[in-house]
Amino acid sequence: MRNIPSSNLWRTVSIAAVLSTLLMLTGFGYAVKDMLWPQGETFIGESPTTPPPENKSLSASSEIRITAFGDSLTKGTGDATGEGYVKQVMALLTEKWDKPVSLTNNLAVNGMHAGRLSELLRGDKGYEYAISQSNLILFTIGGNDLFQLATGKSASEATGEVDLDKLKEQLPSGLQRFKAVIERIHEINPNAQVVYMGLYNPFYDIDELREGSLAIQQWNQEAYAIMHPYSNMTLVPTFDLFENTIGTYLSSDHFHPNHDGYAQIAARIVQSLD
Amino acid sequence: MNISSASKKDPELGLPEYVQQTAETVLYVQGLKKKIRGKPIIHDVSFDVRAGEIFGFLGPNGSGKTTTIRMLVDLIKPTAGEIKICGHDVNRDPEQALRHIGCIVENPEVYTYMTGWENLEHFARMLRDIGIDRINEVVNIVRLEQRIHDKVKTYSLGMRQRLGIAQALLGRPKLLILDEPTNGLDPKGIKELREFIRMLANEGMSLFISSHLLSEIQLMCDRVAIISNGRVLAVGTVDELVEQAGSYVVWQFDKPEEGRKLLAGEPDLRLIAPDEHRIDEGLLANLTEASITTMPAERIPALVEKAVRAGIGVLSVQRIAPTLEELFLKMTEGEGIG
Amino acid sequence: MDRLLPLIQNETLKIWKKKRFYVVVLVLLVLIPIFTYAQMKIAENNQKNFRDWRSQTMQQISDYQNALSSERIPEEWKRFRRIAVQQLQYYLDHDVNPRSPDGVTFTRGFMANSVTLFYPLLVLAIASDLVSGERSSGTIKMLLTRPVRRWKILFSKLVALTLYVSLIVVASGILCYLISGAIFGYGGWTMPIFTGFLINGSDVDSAAVHAVPQWLYMLMQAGLIWFSSMTVAILALMVSVLVRSTAASIVTMMAAVIAGTILANMSSSWTSAKYVFAVNIDLTGYLAGSPPPIEGMTLLFSLLTLGGWAVAALIVSFGVFTKQDILN
Repeated sequence: MRNIPSSNLWRTVSIAAVLSTLLMLTGFGYAVKDMLWPQGETFIGESPTTPPPENKSLSASSEIRITAFGDSLTKGTGDATGEGYVKQVMALLTEKWDKPVSLTNNLAVNGMHAGRLSELLRGDKGYEYAISQSNLILFTIGGNDLFQLATGKSASEATGEVDLDKLKEQLPSGLQRFKAVIERIHEINPNAQVVYMGLYNPFYDIDELREGSLAIQQWNQEAYAIMHPYSNMTLVPTFDLFENTIGTYLSSDHFHPNHDGYAQIAARIVQSLD
Repeated sequence: MNISSASKKDPELGLPEYVQQTAETVLYVQGLKKKIRGKPIIHDVSFDVRAGEIFGFLGPNGSGKTTTIRMLVDLIKPTAGEIKICGHDVNRDPEQALRHIGCIVENPEVYTYMTGWENLEHFARMLRDIGIDRINEVVNIVRLEQRIHDKVKTYSLGMRQRLGIAQALLGRPKLLILDEPTNGLDPKGIKELREFIRMLANEGMSLFISSHLLSEIQLMCDRVAIISNGRVLAVGTVDELVEQAGSYVVWQFDKPEEGRKLLAGEPDLRLIAPDEHRIDEGLLANLTEASITTMPAERIPALVEKAVRAGIGVLSVQRIAPTLEELFLKMTEGEGIG
Repeated sequence: MDRLLPLIQNETLKIWKKKRFYVVVLVLLVLIPIFTYAQMKIAENNQKNFRDWRSQTMQQISDYQNALSSERIPEEWKRFRRIAVQQLQYYLDHDVNPRSPDGVTFTRGFMANSVTLFYPLLVLAIASDLVSGERSSGTIKMLLTRPVRRWKILFSKLVALTLYVSLIVVASGILCYLISGAIFGYGGWTMPIFTGFLINGSDVDSAAVHAVPQWLYMLMQAGLIWFSSMTVAILALMVSVLVRSTAASIVTMMAAVIAGTILANMSSSWTSAKYVFAVNIDLTGYLAGSPPPIEGMTLLFSLLTLGGWAVAALIVSFGVFTKQDILN
């Protein structure tokens, strides 16, 4: 170094490298400090600013935004194409009204039951946001409440082991939770069209379980009564689809509808909308 | 005659000088031993190099030359023994000791992705107080001015060799160690190198040159150490060693058969069979049907007279000095037998 | 130090002249546009499918939840998903977009994803032949016969290596920002990012969660990347001292790094694997709050483990380099 003039290259590289090293050391030091002695503080970002959809009937709105939530039926379980009824409803609506139809979210989770759903509707900002941003809400709930609680297993595994007495026992508490769900939906968005798909008895073709249909019907009836006060809410019945044509419309798990079954449900939903 | 055993007794060959380090000893090596993976490679190497001399280090490939040189420059740690450069122990104080050395170990390996100049800058930065001026100086000494700013990968071997020497000279060393410096050079390059080495020595630098080519050493060096199988067989001036080896006397008669008979009858003369001598064939090319002998030189006039009296014409009598090859083979044979 | 500085200059210039850093920059220049393009396609797709980031985040949460309800998914994955769900939920609940499409966010993601394999690879491009390269070219004989102690030479190589590791991390960040910014815009510096998630099994403790501006998050992340890259660099330096050929040196280190990455993905049951250095390389995960590869690992643990490896490697490197015989 002495007597040999340092080249520009060395000066540039060394200065850049030393500055980089100092920067990295600072970052490292800060990271260690921040991670080892963290200080929690609540930070709230900006609330959503997107305007909610117009307060009109669906046919009059310029676009249709759908939020779907609930259990495996809304998820589309059993449909080999993965569409479920939600996607098919979207296709039919586009055809019917020729206007943009978009899915804000399909938040359905397999195994969802009414209790969990009402918790989410109350505590989860995402649900609240999605529902407030939509003018059409599709949901299914209740199947797991009745069958899961009656068997102690998840609904799709319950084939043949349903205890009809327990099923009936579950009805009142399940309906109470359903009521909470409906009220909460109304609170979040009183203007959107809400379509609830009624329950069906997947075990109609098993003689000793056919009686279960009565309990199912009781649920549907009570549910209808709960929704009745809200003019924007509709219950679409499905039980008749899965009685004599159960082999055509149920998927191989003998619990969820297949693609054609979902197609029938979608058609009914679309018929009910205006 | 066995030179190696003789040399150990003969004070003229310089062996006792190892014991006393004179002030002008640049490199002092005593009792050097090295084992590599438990196997002894260097058994016992001792010699010294004095200021201003060109010291040859002679041995066939695999004799331990390179290992010894690597120990001299701190690339390999000796198992035992002492190496001092200008009084500084290489192992204990390498920074002081290596300051006085410039070296090229085996090939002149420099950074091929840099220019010659950048290489010199690189090595100059590893020394104290070596600046641009000195770099220019060594570039001039090795005459690389034209190409010094080109990438080394474009250099010929000769140029790399010169760059290597320039690098070695940077620190104004008292001792320059060159390992097989003529390897790969063409005859012109070798001649230039030889002159260059002589020039450096004239300026007071000591040179340590290893080679397996004995003619090289003979042409370049003042003193020589001969190494074989990890042992120094002899150390001495080139002339002393040649003297010790004795010389051949080659006779050419007009009647070769009768001449040979005459010589055979002499008591202190030994006739050498044509396939036993070790004289350069080139030297014998013109001496057809010559008789090769070993004998005391002072007896030549008397023998010539005797031959003439016997009616045998003497065409020529020549004393031919043995090459270092000859010397070396004699000593290694001795080694083998002893 | 005045004697060391010229040596450091030598080593720094040699790495530069060998064009190793060009290679690193070149690799970055090729790879970043590819990832930027891929990210652009994803962004386009999301824009088509989702009204805004909230919908997208919601959808991701419910997708994860559906995966959780499936019985065919291994428990280890479920743990990761559960934690991810809780973190996404936290972002959602606090009205903060976890993935805004801008240059800074892209750069942050790129750097975080590169820490386990890509950065080690770039570091190896420079570190692997530091000593073995001098050996195979024979220049080590020139280097070690100068009147400079061997530890000083290795130390200057280590310093030069450190400088280049810093340059690599900074250069990758700058290049990534410049290239991706051309597509996604150059904003996002002040966007809040949450850090401080504490993982307990499959639960997230958000008591210590706080928001930092993205530039600070990037700085912290780069610092952690630098630390793990330095560990890799020091280990590579050791291998380069021990192994004669540069190729062998690269292969050895790559094998170690890749093996570590694989271990990190599958070693939940073999807990002693957490002492392997490569399992600890992903320090940025702690910052983001992603679950550690093996339960019970913390930032402090990983720092100490990496530090331990680095110190051991330095001891071996200096021990061997200062004593070894140069035989070839």
